[in-house]
Amino acid sequence: MGAIGASPARGDARAKVTGEAIYPADIVFPGMIYGQAIRSPHPHARIVNIDTAAALKVPGVLCVLTARDIPGHNGQGVLFQDMPVLARNEVRSVNDVVALVGATTPAAAREGAARIKVDYEELPALLDPVAAMQPGAPRVHPDRENIIYHLPVRKGDVKAGFAAADVVVENTYRTQFLDHAFLQPEAAVARLDERGHLVIYVATQYVHWDRTEVARVLGWNQDRVRIVAPAVGGAFGGREDMTLQTLVALLAVHTRRPAKMVLSREESFFAHSKRHPMIMRYKTGATREGKLTALEAEIIGDSGAYCSWAPNVLRKAAIHATGPYVIPNVKIDAYAVYTNNPFTGAMRGFGATQPPLAYESQMDELAARLGIHPFTIRWLNAFRQGDVTATGQVLESSVGLTETMLQAARAAGWSPDELIPGGMQDE
Amino acid sequence: MSKKRGTGMACCFYGTGYGNGFPDVSTANVEIHDDGSATVHTGAVDCGQGSNTILAQIAAEELGIPYNWVTVVSADTDTTPDAGTTAATRQTYASGNAVQMACRQARETLFEYTRSLLGVNTIAGLVAREGVIYVKGYPEKYITYPEAAARARLAGCRLVGQGTFVTHTTAVDRETGQGAPYWPYAFGTQIAEVEVDTETGEVRVLKLVAAHDVGRAVNRQGVEGQIAGGIGQGVGMALMEKVHLKQGRIINNSFSTYLIPTTLDMPEVQPLIVESYEPTGPYGAKGVGEPATIPTVPAIINAIYDAIGVRITELPATPEKILAALRAKEGEKQ
Repeated sequence: MGAIGASPARGDARAKVTGEAIYPADIVFPGMIYGQAIRSPHPHARIVNIDTAAALKVPGVLCVLTARDIPGHNGQGVLFQDMPVLARNEVRSVNDVVALVGATTPAAAREGAARIKVDYEELPALLDPVAAMQPGAPRVHPDRENIIYHLPVRKGDVKAGFAAADVVVENTYRTQFLDHAFLQPEAAVARLDERGHLVIYVATQYVHWDRTEVARVLGWNQDRVRIVAPAVGGAFGGREDMTLQTLVALLAVHTRRPAKMVLSREESFFAHSKRHPMIMRYKTGATREGKLTALEAEIIGDSGAYCSWAPNVLRKAAIHATGPYVIPNVKIDAYAVYTNNPFTGAMRGFGATQPPLAYESQMDELAARLGIHPFTIRWLNAFRQGDVTATGQVLESSVGLTETMLQAARAAGWSPDELIPGGMQDE
Repeated sequence: MSKKRGTGMACCFYGTGYGNGFPDVSTANVEIHDDGSATVHTGAVDCGQGSNTILAQIAAEELGIPYNWVTVVSADTDTTPDAGTTAATRQTYASGNAVQMACRQARETLFEYTRSLLGVNTIAGLVAREGVIYVKGYPEKYITYPEAAARARLAGCRLVGQGTFVTHTTAVDRETGQGAPYWPYAFGTQIAEVEVDTETGEVRVLKLVAAHDVGRAVNRQGVEGQIAGGIGQGVGMALMEKVHLKQGRIINNSFSTYLIPTTLDMPEVQPLIVESYEPTGPYGAKGVGEPATIPTVPAIINAIYDAIGVRITELPATPEKILAALRAKEGEKQ
């Protein structure tokens, strides 16, 4: 009996159950200061003036940082650095951080933040991705099209596929903005160590990427930045973009004191990405025997004000739009679109979680029209080893789909032998 | 009787990894110590999903030592090599492969030294299991791992290994979408049983059967935990969760207004592990992190349809939407 396939006790289990595990929020250093971000209340506005005088008079407030205090590059992002660390002239969503207070206590930091006066000139906001796609729509980012990404997937001839169909189902499906709702809200501590290197303890998904982003914002070499992830209380994709990493870095480097930020649940909702809401128009055809003949799908994902992973998420949506089924004729178009909504990014399933609402609802609708069981229509079209996906990829190995169907069906009390045309012997 | 039950099925496939030719790379280091224990260094962050445990199991298996002889040091840019992000259901596959490669290298260095001690003409003639190295086909001839490691190190051998694994994918064509964008693909089927109250519109999810093809389950309890957690998030997405915006501003930024499932909302979960064995994975493993949540929403939506004959096309399926759909259906009849 080897180690593979066993269920040994997790090394971190005892510490997490007893509360001994160290999360970033548990970390304290002598002389540590606390940060508080000031976020835009508007989805789109010009920043006219930031008055920090009253904040700096609050006892305990050490600094108020704005865009001009960033020593390196004022931009962050996993694909393009289109999100400012601190907004300079314009805010593009209510997430945007316009200023950052450093103070000796969390209360002083909050008080200082409350006294910062930002004058905005509100601008029209694009809040609907379909409107944002129209020719002539104002651009969210002047240097980029609102349609950040479009992937067409083309296979066969959908016109012929629908002509060969005995039944065609058309529906539009919509998914929602979702929060990752991880247990541990964002927390990070930064300090300069005895070498003068910056060390950041942060709940993150990728320490090496955080190092790249922090070094770029500081204008430092990467060897002088160290990122450590202590215990992390869930992530689900919501810790892939910079939230506090670059902010605590700025505070620690500016004040030369250890700096900490821990978000409340309420601010956590504002700080990290959301799941892309998608509008999915689906048209699916099948023969009366239940074989799929064609799929036409258009998927629009709202990226919000910043790109994060949007092209990759919508690519994943397009590539998975058929579901795990052989469809000979396919026309899929997926779009990622900038708006002035809160930005969206990675979340468990990453663009492959939304299309199943559409493709699996379509399968049941087709089955209902054809008078066949939901299991049967899936069985007739399911990927098997050697099958080819809509992108032309041959599934060469480990295609366990039909086995999952059989096991699930039996556990649900269904009899696959009766639901498979011709019975099990065909397999 | 205002409560109606229904059953719904949903299948999924999921291309794991970054995909599309993106550099999807993981590096791991390992060192075997004088006493036969070992330390693995990996940049992979364990976000709670259990990668440190999985990687320790893979190291233990590949080195041939007990699981509790392995320590995994992770997620520190000063001391651990880049393992890529903890996302895309990729750490078991990509970092698991990197750890296995690193451990194989370290073990083969140890075997090369041990070979002469046991009078074997090739390292292929040695097997290590549970802290003992013995001659293949002749287990009576053996040496303990601690003794072999201590003697090898005293002889100047350094029992270290480094593995770098790159997940193979290709970019899709930008005009046609054709290509081989992900590898490997995971598969799953879930069947939901729900009860819909036609007077209140409330949906209770009673049971979810969840069969997932994970290639090979490195840690069975870990897989079952991922399936249960995935279903929990799926129940939230299907029935209750939504970030509400008013002029671009989030208005329900707390758990009193952004509802997530509690233990009382969780259905009975029956996880079923299907092992199809992926030849490019560590011991045949693929992954399950994301696929576990993917079929839950449509399984529930299809179960609602089965129960009351209404098709919810916009998430979440709140009681208000269920009642409105029921009223619309009644209206059609009249």
